Parts: sequence; C-alpha cells; structure tokens
Amino acid sequence: MDLSEIAVSSLRHAKDMDHAESYVVRSVIRSAYIDGGRISNIETKTDSGMCIRVANDGRLGRACVTLSDEGSAGSCARSAVRVSSFSPKNSMFRGYPSPSRSLIRTDVFDDRIDNITDDGLKEILSAVIDSCDTDIPRGLLRLSTIRSAVANSNGLLTEHRSTMMYGHFTSMFRGTKNGEGTESVHGTSLTLDPERIGKELGRKARASAEARPFRGKKKITMILPPCELGDMIMSSAGSALNGENVHYMRSPWTDKLDTKVASDVLTMTDDPGTPGPLCSAFDDEGTPSEKKVLVENGVLKSFIRDSFIGSSTGNGMRRNSTDAQNIYCSAVGIRPMNMIISAGRHTREDIISQTDHGILVEKFAWPEADPLTGRFGLEVRCGYLIRRGKVVGTVNNALMMGNMFDALADIDLIGSDGENMGCITVPTMSFSGMELAGN
Amino acid sequence: MMHHMLSKSVAKMQDLGAEFCDAKYQKIKSIGIQSVNGDIRHLSDKVMGGVCLRAWVGGRWGYHTSTSFTADDIISAAETAVANASGSPKGNVELNVKIIKKSRSQNVKVHPDDVDMDEKVRAVLDLDSSQKRDRVLNRIGSYSEEINNNILINSAGSEIEWEEIRTRFRAMSVASDGQRMERYYNGPDGTCGFELIKNADVESLGRNTAEEAVATLRAKRTPSGPMTVISDPMISGLLAHEVMGHASEADEIVKKRSFLTDAVGKRVASDVVSMYDDGTVEGAHGTIIYDDEGTPASRTRIIKDGIYVGYMHTLESASLMNVQPTGNGRAENFGKRIWARMTNTFFGPGDRTLDDLIADTKKGILCDKMVNGMEDPVGGGFEAKVLRGFMIENGKITDMLRSFTLTGRALEILRTMDAATKEVVFDGGMCGKGIEDWVNVSSGGPYCRSGMIVGGG
Repeated sequence: MDLSEIAVSSLRHAKDMDHAESYVVRSVIRSAYIDGGRISNIETKTDSGMCIRVANDGRLGRACVTLSDEGSAGSCARSAVRVSSFSPKNSMFRGYPSPSRSLIRTDVFDDRIDNITDDGLKEILSAVIDSCDTDIPRGLLRLSTIRSAVANSNGLLTEHRSTMMYGHFTSMFRGTKNGEGTESVHGTSLTLDPERIGKELGRKARASAEARPFRGKKKITMILPPCELGDMIMSSAGSALNGENVHYMRSPWTDKLDTKVASDVLTMTDDPGTPGPLCSAFDDEGTPSEKKVLVENGVLKSFIRDSFIGSSTGNGMRRNSTDAQNIYCSAVGIRPMNMIISAGRHTREDIISQTDHGILVEKFAWPEADPLTGRFGLEVRCGYLIRRGKVVGTVNNALMMGNMFDALADIDLIGSDGENMGCITVPTMSFSGMELAGN
Repeated sequence: MMHHMLSKSVAKMQDLGAEFCDAKYQKIKSIGIQSVNGDIRHLSDKVMGGVCLRAWVGGRWGYHTSTSFTADDIISAAETAVANASGSPKGNVELNVKIIKKSRSQNVKVHPDDVDMDEKVRAVLDLDSSQKRDRVLNRIGSYSEEINNNILINSAGSEIEWEEIRTRFRAMSVASDGQRMERYYNGPDGTCGFELIKNADVESLGRNTAEEAVATLRAKRTPSGPMTVISDPMISGLLAHEVMGHASEADEIVKKRSFLTDAVGKRVASDVVSMYDDGTVEGAHGTIIYDDEGTPASRTRIIKDGIYVGYMHTLESASLMNVQPTGNGRAENFGKRIWARMTNTFFGPGDRTLDDLIADTKKGILCDKMVNGMEDPVGGGFEAKVLRGFMIENGKITDMLRSFTLTGRALEILRTMDAATKEVVFDGGMCGKGIEDWVNVSSGGPYCRSGMIVGGG
C-alpha cells in the first residue's frame, strides 16, 4: 500500500471521533562515518511509521507506531482513541486543517541522494579526508530520502517527498597544543564541496591550536559567522516568533506586532519556496505553506503558527533538518521552514576592516541564547581578536556575554554571505557592546 | 519467533563472512503527558520497534537497521549489514565477547502498565494546579514513562533478553513581573515505576517550583571573572560528565582525540576528587542491566584520590586496548549507532557539610540547578550554564543571582577543588555524543568547591 492509502484508510479506525488526522512517513537513510581519519561504520536504515491524532468533544489524543505489519495502522488509531478518552477537554483546539491549494513550488528532491551507493558515500568522505591537512577524528555524512502523507477527517490529503543531506565533521591538529575545527553542511541536494570542507577543517584546527587564553575583561564588538549565528537567532528571535510562546505570553515579543523589535537593517522572512531541508508546499499537518515577512526593517510583522494555536501559517512541523529517523514520533511543533535574514552588502572582510575593537568568533562551545530573556554567556573556543580593522591574534578560554534581543536591536553590520544552517539562512553579522571576560 | 528470526540473521551474517555479528530487537513503549496552564497540551502513546544488525569484518562495522522484520526482510538486512562492513580495514581485531544466556527484568514496585491513564493524567494536572501563584505566567506539568524491551543474539552464542523502565515527573514555572521573565523547574526521575509519583509530594513540588520562579525575578546580575564556586550536585555532576566523562569514553581514546589519552596513573585533580561511572546504581536514571552490545553494566573508577584510573569501553575499544569491556556500548535506540557512552557519572563524597563550606568561603558563588553543558574532549574546556545562584560574602549567603555560565580548563578546575560535602545526589537527563545520539544518563556528586570563570549575560 502506498503512503496515501495507509493514511486515508487508517482514518476509518477513528471514524467515531470528531476530528482525526493520520501522518505516515517512510525514510531511507544512508550514512557513513569517519573515525580516526578512516571511513568506519557504513549504515543503511529503513524506517517507516505513523502518527494518528484524534479529538473528540475537545479531548485530544495522539499515538505513534512503527509500521511493522498490516495491523500497525489499526492499533495506532485505537491507541489514539483510547488515550483521548482520558484527556480533559482542551479549551483551545479548533480542528485540523481543511483541504487547500498551495501556491508554493519546491525543488527539494535530488535523485543523486536517493540513489547513493556505498561507493558514492566513500568517495565523498575520501575526498574530505584527502583534502584536510590535519586528522579528522570524527565525521558523519548522512543522506536521507523522506516520503510522507497526511490525511485528515476534513478530506485533506497531501503528499511530500524530499531528500536531505547533513554532514558534521571535526578535525584535530596535534602539536604542543591540540586544536579542533568543525564543519557542518545542510541541504536538500548533493551539493557539498568535499575539498572545501577538508581545507576548512584543516585551517580551523590549526587556528584553534594557535589560540591563547584571553585575559581580562572588555567591551567588544562581536562578529558571528553563519555557523554560530544561526542557533543564536533561532534560540532568541526564532523562539520569540513562535505562536505558541506568544499564546502563553512567554515570548518577549508578545504584544509587539507592528512595533520596533530590531535595528532598521534587519528583515526576516520565512520562505518555504527556497531549497532548505524543511521546505515544502505543505507543512506536516497539510496546511499550505507561504512566504511570510516576519520582521521588516526592524518592525515585527507576523508570528508563525500551527493548527493548534490557530490561523496556521503552515509551520506545523514534525521533520527536523538533520535526521530523518523516527519523524513519526515527533509531536507537531512550530518551526520556520527556512527563516532568511536578508543579506547586507558587506563581505566578511569588510566587516572586520570596519571594526575598531572586536572578536570574530569561529567557535563557541554551544551557541544559544536563553529563549525567555535573550541572555547568553558562551565559552569562546576559538576567536580572532580585531583591533583597528585587523586581526591581531587568536584567543580561547573566554566568556562572551550579552543579550541577543538587545543585540538584534543594535546591529552594526550585516554581511552578504548568507548560508543555510538547517531551518535558517543567515549571513555574518556584527553587534557592538558585548562583554568578553577571561581569566 | 523473534528469537528465531534474529538467530537466522546472525547465522546468515556469519555465512557471509562476518567475524562477529549481533542482532538486536528493541520495542520501546512510552507515554508522555504535558499540561500547560491547566490544559493537557500533549497526551501521547508511542510504540517503536525495530531491529539492528551489525557485522564486524576486518575491523569495520556494517549496520542495517529496519522497522520492517519479516523473515525475508531480515535476511536481506543481514546481507546489507555484511556488505556495509566495507570501510577502511583495521586489520585483525578480535572482539572479546563474554557469552551470556539470561533473561532479566527491572525491579519496580508499581509497573507503569498497571496504573490507569486516568491516574497519570490526574497527577500531571495536580502538579500543574499546585503551581498557581500571582506572577506565574505558565504552569507546566509533565510525566513520562518508557518501557524498553530488548532481545540480543550474537555470534559468540549470547542470548539475552531484558527490560528497562524509566519514569520522570517534572514541574516548570515561568514567572513574570511585567518586565522580566524567569523560570524554575524541579522533579524526580529514575529507573523505576509509578512509585516515583506515588512517593512524590505533588502539592509541595508544584508550590516550591512556582515560589522559586517568582523569587528568581528579584535575582541580580552575576558578576564576571574568576571566582570561587560551590557547585551544587547538579553542576558537580555536569562537571564530572562534561569535563572528565566525555573525555574518558574510550572510543575517543583509541582515536587519540581526548586530552586524557595516556593519562592513566597521572594526577589530574586534587586528592579530594574521586570519580566513577556506574551503570548499576539502583534507581538512577542512567542505570542499565546490559549495554546495547550485551555487556553487563559495571562500576568504572575513573579518578581515585586525584589520580586518573581508567576509561569506559565498548567491545571494540576494549579489544583495541586489550582490556575488559565495561558495559558502556550504548545507542539511542535500535536505529542508531553504538558508541562508548556514560551511564551514571559522579564525583564521590567528601567529609564536609554545606553550611560548613559556605561559612568557610570569603567570597564566592553557590550554584542552584543547571540549564545545560557542553563537552570538549580535545581541548579539555568546560562550559556549564547555571539556572541561578547565590552570592557568598564573608561566609554568608547574600544576593540571589540570575542565570550565568561557568567555564575554565578542566584540569585547572579539578586541581583547585578543595572540599566536597558528604552526600551524593543524582540528576537524570539525556546526553548527546557531540550534537546527537541521545541516551538516558544521570550525573551527580556532592557540593564541591573550586575555582572557575563566571560570566552573567
């Protein structure tokens, strides 16, 4: 049976419910690892499962199963019906989406990923290893094909297919002081450049080994490249734009529609028509996706929502941008498909040359800001100190402190080098007034 | 039936040239309930099941994992697993596998299957409503249970069947004074049944969580720079886990990626520091009966009185280093790779009391709960985000401090550790290897005093 048939036929097991929805997904994942500079584990994974959600008289239930035999769909529906009977009435639920057409066309399927072989995977990883002049102790390349269908009791039926590439590599320079570099790649097609990745890994590991502990404390301009800035924006602005956080009033941007929340230079859109790993014509609830302006010239224009929050903007997602396994077990959450910060006109070199006193952070321990407050204190594992427009040294062992909501309201410069980091595309940006503290 | 299919797949992989192979079936049943402000936001019942076949050929692993396991599927999966063992050869590495034929269940007092869903929902809603307070914006109650059944058969002759049960009960309050928002959380977890909830004082758990969230609204900005820090058991555990734990996973040692490579026998900490990974701690969240390769859980001493002792092993790393496996070969689930992973990782107790430690600190910070942390096996760095803390001045607690970050060099922190309290407390959570592959663990320790860099955002 194909996925749409499973999705539609499974609804009959929940026909007594006021509302029912079935999501069915099948993934094939091929991955290969580098361990200690050599290609080691090679994996083939086939994964299929479904999630059924029901609502009856305001009582909600959800059940998920792996599709291991013909009885799986029926047992999933029965479980959803059973658990819903224990739920108190939910005051918010208004129903699942009705059928509707999408105006978005996406190109997110690459036959080369769908047909990748062991030898193809090994060839790519060998090229990464050969291009890197330091060791690569760990690396992973994962290529996935995802096919899914959503059906609901309103007569909605949508299908989606996409391919996804995710790679994460760490390099290591061994010397009197060891240094580590990392590189990540995200995408929907097999467009990675193994030689560039290998060279960057080597460069970053050497730079990290040369870093010296930062001493003292100073006010400084923070320059973040896309690989560090993406998660900082998602954990702060991404959380503030989430309709569920707005509904429960834990978004600092609640009640700030049409008011200024960021610098004039900041414009953010969510654009499902671009080739991002989550981009699709419909979200994972079957609501048509659409291009939305979220922040325009610093003014908050809209939030993103799913069907539970109501007035869905087509952002009810089960998929994530790195792994296609066990998607059916994920609860629907509100996520942008590809949140794009409009690029500026400065190259990264321009931004450095216009910075009087700053640091370009190549690697934080883990880039994130507190979603409620925007506060952050992050360990700098490798950063380039800048004085009067020039890099004057490499530092580590320092804490970068600030507030991401304040930083967005006081952006210095925006780069022209936008890069996709999963569900966000960001350029390099600089922010003044941060605090850097060392030992 | 499943035993028979797994045995057939093992025989097939051997026929195709696997020097060692195993086949594992896993079924994970879980229930999750979450409320927000009195409404049930999530109520879910999940059943995941699948097989993982691994073939070891010439020092390389080939994997095939599948959620479909008819007789034909499983034979074809066996063929793919062997074909996938085609990475770079490592030569003759013989895995040292002990043969085990056993079936074991976890000891629980109240099996979650024997408790009505009604009672679980009611517990969550009670936890939610007990957080009602002025200035509490969001009241969140959550309950989760996971029943994990495993069957593993390998080419050495092992046939093992075991069950793991985990439950977790948690309150989180978000408070606001109109200008600022702060949060606080609390709640028990462990490898246990529904007795976790039956033994909890739900009313006081919710009330305390809400009151602490409101109290945190008056917390001040934390000063920055090098400070004396008294880590609470959560942060002590994070230090043990992130700093020394990840760097002691032997798959990082065989690749020489860890700063603790060749550290055995060397002094790495002050003599008040002892550290363990112990998969057998009764009731702790990271406790396991067997790891995902079928090795029984064990207690591994990592640091003894400041001297580095040893690593945590998988079958592969143990064979490469010619030692016994320690029961640390773990995977997130049947669909994921097995790595060397921690179980319950903790610092051993000292001989002080907390009051005594505070009174003995001229100026410093006392930590209260973690947000998260990040490992650095290569550089030996440490980053821990702390939910809040308290200033200590002249031996007394003064101001409450809002969230801050701790950092420093691992070995420098441990060398400055000069005191620890008597009681070890564990806190359960999930641990990733790098940025994925999440497994259930706990970490813990006593209150410990050391020097770190502090930064408040």
